[in-house]
Amino acid sequence: MHGSGAEISREVFWNILGPGFPTEQVLLYVLVVIALLLFFHGLAKSGFFTRMKAVTSAKGSDVERVNNAWDRFWYMVVDVFGHRKILREPYQGVFHLFIFWGFVALAITTAIVFLQADVIWPIWHVWFMEGNFYLGLSLFADVFGFVAIVGILMAMARRYFMKPKWLDEKAEDKVILWFILAILVTGFVVEALRIQATETDPASPMNPYIWFSPVGRTVAFLFSGMSMDALRDTHVVLWWTHVIGALGFIVFIAYSKLLHIVMTPVNIFLRPDTPQPPIRVMPPEMFENAETFGIHNLEEYSWKDLFDTEACMRCGRCVEVCPAFNTDKPLMPRDVIQNIRTYMENKAKFALDADGNYHIIPDEEYTGPALIGDGIEKDTIWACTTCMACVEACPAYILQFPKLIDLRRYLVMMESDFPAEVMDVFKGMENNSNPWSIGAHTRADWAKGLDVPLLSEKGEAEYLFYVGCAGAFDDLNKKVAVSLAKIFKAAGLDFAILGTEEGCCGDSAKKIGNEYVYQALAMANIETFKAYNVNKIITMCPHGYTALKHDYKELGGSFQVFHYTEILDKLIKQGKITLKQPIENLGTITYHDSCYLGRYNKIYDQPRNILKALKSGSLVEMKSHHAKRFCCGAGGGRMWMEEDLGTRINQKRTQEAEASGAKTICTACPFCYTMLSDGIKELELSEKLQAFDIAQLVAKAAGLDEKTNKSGNDEEQEAAN
Amino acid sequence: MNTVVCIKQVPDTETLIKVQGAGIVTEGIKWVMNPYDEFAVEEALRQKEKMKAGSVAIVSLGPDRGIEAIRTGLAMGADTAVHVNDAAYYDKADPYATAAALAAAIKGLQYDAIFMGKQAIDDDAAQVPAMLAEMLGIPAITMVVKFEVAADKSTATVTREIEGGQAVVEVPLPAVFSAQKGLNEPRYASLPGIMKAKKKPVDVKTAADLGASEGPKTVVKEMTLPPARQAGKVIAGDDAAAKAKELARILHEEVKIV
Repeated sequence: MHGSGAEISREVFWNILGPGFPTEQVLLYVLVVIALLLFFHGLAKSGFFTRMKAVTSAKGSDVERVNNAWDRFWYMVVDVFGHRKILREPYQGVFHLFIFWGFVALAITTAIVFLQADVIWPIWHVWFMEGNFYLGLSLFADVFGFVAIVGILMAMARRYFMKPKWLDEKAEDKVILWFILAILVTGFVVEALRIQATETDPASPMNPYIWFSPVGRTVAFLFSGMSMDALRDTHVVLWWTHVIGALGFIVFIAYSKLLHIVMTPVNIFLRPDTPQPPIRVMPPEMFENAETFGIHNLEEYSWKDLFDTEACMRCGRCVEVCPAFNTDKPLMPRDVIQNIRTYMENKAKFALDADGNYHIIPDEEYTGPALIGDGIEKDTIWACTTCMACVEACPAYILQFPKLIDLRRYLVMMESDFPAEVMDVFKGMENNSNPWSIGAHTRADWAKGLDVPLLSEKGEAEYLFYVGCAGAFDDLNKKVAVSLAKIFKAAGLDFAILGTEEGCCGDSAKKIGNEYVYQALAMANIETFKAYNVNKIITMCPHGYTALKHDYKELGGSFQVFHYTEILDKLIKQGKITLKQPIENLGTITYHDSCYLGRYNKIYDQPRNILKALKSGSLVEMKSHHAKRFCCGAGGGRMWMEEDLGTRINQKRTQEAEASGAKTICTACPFCYTMLSDGIKELELSEKLQAFDIAQLVAKAAGLDEKTNKSGNDEEQEAAN
Repeated sequence: MNTVVCIKQVPDTETLIKVQGAGIVTEGIKWVMNPYDEFAVEEALRQKEKMKAGSVAIVSLGPDRGIEAIRTGLAMGADTAVHVNDAAYYDKADPYATAAALAAAIKGLQYDAIFMGKQAIDDDAAQVPAMLAEMLGIPAITMVVKFEVAADKSTATVTREIEGGQAVVEVPLPAVFSAQKGLNEPRYASLPGIMKAKKKPVDVKTAADLGASEGPKTVVKEMTLPPARQAGKVIAGDDAAAKAKELARILHEEVKIV
């Protein structure tokens, strides 16, 4: 820069500006303006504004998105700069962090240079880019530029060599990496040429500080033999290449997944601020006056559903963790989002008239590819176990699986189109309030002879033990209900059951998409709970736990709900249950986290605390555990559907348990218990593996073994067999 | 094609049945549409949809609660309903009286075919289809598993189940067809169907309204439940021979079947 005079600094626009009028500087600004214009042109060209019209025309209901704006803002800042979610996956987390921080650092550096050269110097004639500050800045930019290159190389290694099967492959994916690499490399080369020309001479005042640009200095060795003229000529050419590349990158953002640089932070700000991933609320009165239910049409989405598709950069983390995808089923959560986006693009084009005005197209008039069938296959819609892995993995806070529930709702409630085997489940729920279709009058039979207090007889109790359908009707899980009743009694807990007054929680109906049946079941339970002034509820099943604790609130049912593992953990800590009986043949234990307990409700520690308190066996974790654990395959109503596509989820999970070296798999969910017990049988692993519910082990260790019960179900069951 | 579907409300197969005298305790029972009648409703709807014309009328004899089964049929897609609801029939209507009441209700309706389940799963009499056809003076084809109608609606070609096989029968219309399992897969009522069903017309008639005066020809004197299943017994013994000997003894002395 002309006349800064500072010795420890550098001339901005060295070798670029000619004498007199700074033509090149003006040209640079012209280019910047052109780049920005091209960026917006690119947005228009790639359909962004049309899509935004579709987004703003959407009519579906949504949750709060801008409340607590300040908290949301800070959450976003921490998430973006700290990579809270992105770092869940170490490799891609780290390389994204490197590229991201490389960019941020270089952007900061560029902004400082701009302020110095184009604002502060021309106006106030102050030169602050000197001395230690300059050296620090130089080092800062150099190091972060290098870090960004390392990140890009790691990303390239993944795209070219590691090639994980869940990674999407579009032309732009590789182009972007080469593009960024080229910008970074030319940047360093330009720097190196300048250093070679101006700082290698021992007489240069900068020479002693030359290593404050370590990468630039190192690269400069390549040019040590070049003449000053050659250095200058190469520098000019590469400087403009670098500048045009960087500005081209800005334009490219509009055309590519790079738009996530803008859209994803916005989506993080707009993230659902609810304890559960929100599934669209259907107010009960809707069933009286609405004409259509669920989603099969663009406008039925909420604006945020459609906006989600803008924030998706196809990273594939949701695919990587999806149990359906990992067992070769035709479901990739990323593609669900991308296909909704494609559908939106198609329909939005239809919706534009010649003057560019956007009209909502009635269904009958739209002849393009449909959402269900063309965009998203029915097999995809039914493959989901609602395990929530996708939602939890998504760094952009997109809601993937709830969008499938919207589609299920349409198929079930409008078209009666669902896997045939689900018919009996619905009828069982409607007629006998359980998906097993077993007579409702037998709901309390599991408790016969156990002297379990009935709320109708006891009048009131501190805790309602809500057993749920599995504990009441499924032979395997009746044993768990029996264990729990015995433990509660032994611990002196003031509890009662509803017996035949209990009804199905409705979770399976809700997740299969039959909100109508779900609400009927939920309202019946809420009414019963309220009639007995129930406040505290213990559930045996994590699905009932989630329904009663969270979902019932939408229907006016607000209760204090506990999963039994929370209660047992507390009772053990309080010394109300003593686990002194050794349990034989337990071996190494591994705990399988239930999705609805873990991911949905963050209950990870209590079940493990209980297992540690057993003093029999030792605890080992499977390959995937806690938040990243693999599903059993039964959630989302999949418990009731045939699994005829791909391989079986329960078997994959059973194999993971086997690989952990454990002899005993413990569960705290009746569905998981069933699925893993079946997995052991199907894989003929009975000699190596056994499955138990935690409650059964606690009962054994407390000397309350279910087998010692004279009038329990085991004997009757054996007799019936 | 215009069709009439006769349906009956019966206790759910899983519900707890308690016998009281010559009847059952109706309290606490979950009532549903007779499952075989669901096939009948479905077939009528499919024929209407195939022809893209006509209507489906439900006719049912039953007390007040019977309206729920009728609404189920309407929710599946039937257009109108006649509910024969008369205290004179409560707990007393035998197959003959039922057929007579249904015949009286159907006489005023336009129809090319009458569908109904092959039997109701509560009394298992399986008589009404034949009696109804006789009273209306039209043919009856029972145990139908496949139904096809000629384009001019003059005849129907149906496949019916016979012992160990199937027979294809042609019959002039109108006629009564009783549905066997396998005829179709009944649909699950869609939500709009359920909503619309609430507004569809249901004509409630008494015996007097219909001019039906035929009473029952039979009277149920007593009902009993099958004996409860006995607990199994594991035969003890030192070896196979001893166990076999013990088994033989039990079969001779305790069970007395050998």
